[in-house]
Amino acid sequence: MLRIRQVLVLAGLTALEALRQPICLLLTGTCVLLTALAPMLVMHVFGEEGKLARDSGLAFHFVFGMFVAGHAACACVAREIRCGTTATVLSKPVGRTLFFASKFAGVAAVVLAFSACATLATLLSERVAEKLHTGPEGWGYVTDWRAGWLLAAAPFAAAAAAGAINWALRRPFESTAFLLLLCAVPAAFFICGFFDRLGRPAPLDFRVDWRILPAAALIAMALLVLAAAAMAVATRLPTVPTLTVVAGLFLAGLVSDHFLGRRAAASPAALFLYRLIPNWQNFWLCDALTGGGAIAWSYVAQAGLYAAACVTAFLGLGALSFAHVEMK
Amino acid sequence: MSAPSAVESAAPAVVEIRGLTKIFRDFWRRPKVRAVDGLDLEVRPGEIFGLLGPNGSGKTTTLKILLGLLFPSGGEVRVFGRPPHDIATKRRIGYLPEESALYGYLTPRETLDFYGRLFALPAAPRRERAGQLLRMVGLAHAAERPVGEFSKGMSRRIGLAQALINDPELVVLDEPTAGLDPIGCRQIKDLMLALARRGKTIVLSSHLLADVEDVCDRIVILYNGRIRAQGGVTDLLEKKDLTRITVPAVPAETLRAVIGMLRESTGRAPEVEHPTMDLEHFFLQVVEEAHRSSQAPSGVGRADGTARYLDGREAGRGN
Repeated sequence: MLRIRQVLVLAGLTALEALRQPICLLLTGTCVLLTALAPMLVMHVFGEEGKLARDSGLAFHFVFGMFVAGHAACACVAREIRCGTTATVLSKPVGRTLFFASKFAGVAAVVLAFSACATLATLLSERVAEKLHTGPEGWGYVTDWRAGWLLAAAPFAAAAAAGAINWALRRPFESTAFLLLLCAVPAAFFICGFFDRLGRPAPLDFRVDWRILPAAALIAMALLVLAAAAMAVATRLPTVPTLTVVAGLFLAGLVSDHFLGRRAAASPAALFLYRLIPNWQNFWLCDALTGGGAIAWSYVAQAGLYAAACVTAFLGLGALSFAHVEMK
Repeated sequence: MSAPSAVESAAPAVVEIRGLTKIFRDFWRRPKVRAVDGLDLEVRPGEIFGLLGPNGSGKTTTLKILLGLLFPSGGEVRVFGRPPHDIATKRRIGYLPEESALYGYLTPRETLDFYGRLFALPAAPRRERAGQLLRMVGLAHAAERPVGEFSKGMSRRIGLAQALINDPELVVLDEPTAGLDPIGCRQIKDLMLALARRGKTIVLSSHLLADVEDVCDRIVILYNGRIRAQGGVTDLLEKKDLTRITVPAVPAETLRAVIGMLRESTGRAPEVEHPTMDLEHFFLQVVEEAHRSSQAPSGVGRADGTARYLDGREAGRGN
């Protein structure tokens, strides 16, 4: 029971510390804003606006998520070892494995919160994109400006409200703004449900492309794997080398199909490396949505098992390494 | 200093170190520094034990090995009869690191609450202890400011407060008075004495000799990781071939007569002087007067005495 409480306390603190760093708010707010603006700024793409908005949103989700995951993971391991907070915590009745696992739980919470925000933003962004509209009033290409501006306003509204709360109640600005952004994006999503694409009041119907959900879930899994990898490396290396190693791992995983997959049948070494390096192609399936296609939830479940195996392996290595780290 | 009976008791040692050696290695695992070299020492229950030595003499390394934060290269270390990394043992220890490593985005109240939760303290005593500790270290007025904004001295005080949240039986203090003003130093020394009166054991490292002399029962002096001197403070410092007599001011004739007698007895003239107040006490008097006339401080406020649960005024509130 004590251990569960300690996990919750340490994970909560890790999440809170991550959220109180301005970089986390900046990355999440920028991701939502760019996702909102993408469909409003592109024009004349010959009917591909929806695809472009969807792909852009998912790409923002992946790229900004990588930075959120990498930064949070490095901050809670490498930086804490360096500045001594880890030593202070480990002088209390806290085991090293429990400490390391709790840190990952905290980082995972932040990554999943970011992913939820980015997913809703992508769903709305795809709705905003110009599409052919037919109705009793005629037909034409329509952009859902109302939904777009509502989504774009969410980061600013969250920041303004957090500023007011900071002034009135002295609550920390960064974490308050992040939490308000987590409320503002779903609020924008919900409000848009009461309007049709022409901006007229209508019965509740979100009018979004739900096929995006499994694609976004896959990206969230990839981010968790990246966070686990970053945490494992951060037990031994400082922040910048850790991010470099993880970026290398990411690039290796992106090209492993091309360079290793084709040689795997002939070369045991290539097969070993192909199996060893996480294959990020398993998590990036935007193209499967093109032309009305969909990603089966059974595939998402399989990918989930793959991601869980990767996370377990990285955390196991990290915990093993962390058990022998000296707190100088 | 704590009562001699506590120090000389036959109870098992709180800390036992036998032949402790610590070698730091480089990236290629080659020996780089021998920080501790064959250290033997014992800390008994209820004593205030000082580790002295110049920078790099192995004080902090020894303390970190005691806490399981560093791993010994050789020798044996037992704390409460258990290995240092034993989780249950750590419930009985409070540790103030050399640099007060705190979560910069947390407020002092959140910091103490966090550490209290790690010991599974129930909510009510946790809040009560946090409040008492904040008042004790003079930071009750800054309880809602992020500790990242604090000066070194203020961080040090929060560091001390977190070390005491569990009412530990063994308190390990690494350079406890570093970065503190004379008032803070005095408070820490008073706190150590109060804890020792309750039978707590304190191990501290310092190179501020006056602080150690004021509070420690026994000391070891380390140099290059080896013990160069050890023993009771009084035993080590006492000059057995000299005698000092302090009396209220006496008339000149009486003084001349006494000097004559002493010269006759010892064969040399004694030194006679008016004792002076030490600078620490004079400083504390001046600041005390300033506190009485000042408004709300921006840094460290006026500290209450030792927290009630630490000096035993709240019985039955153990962790």
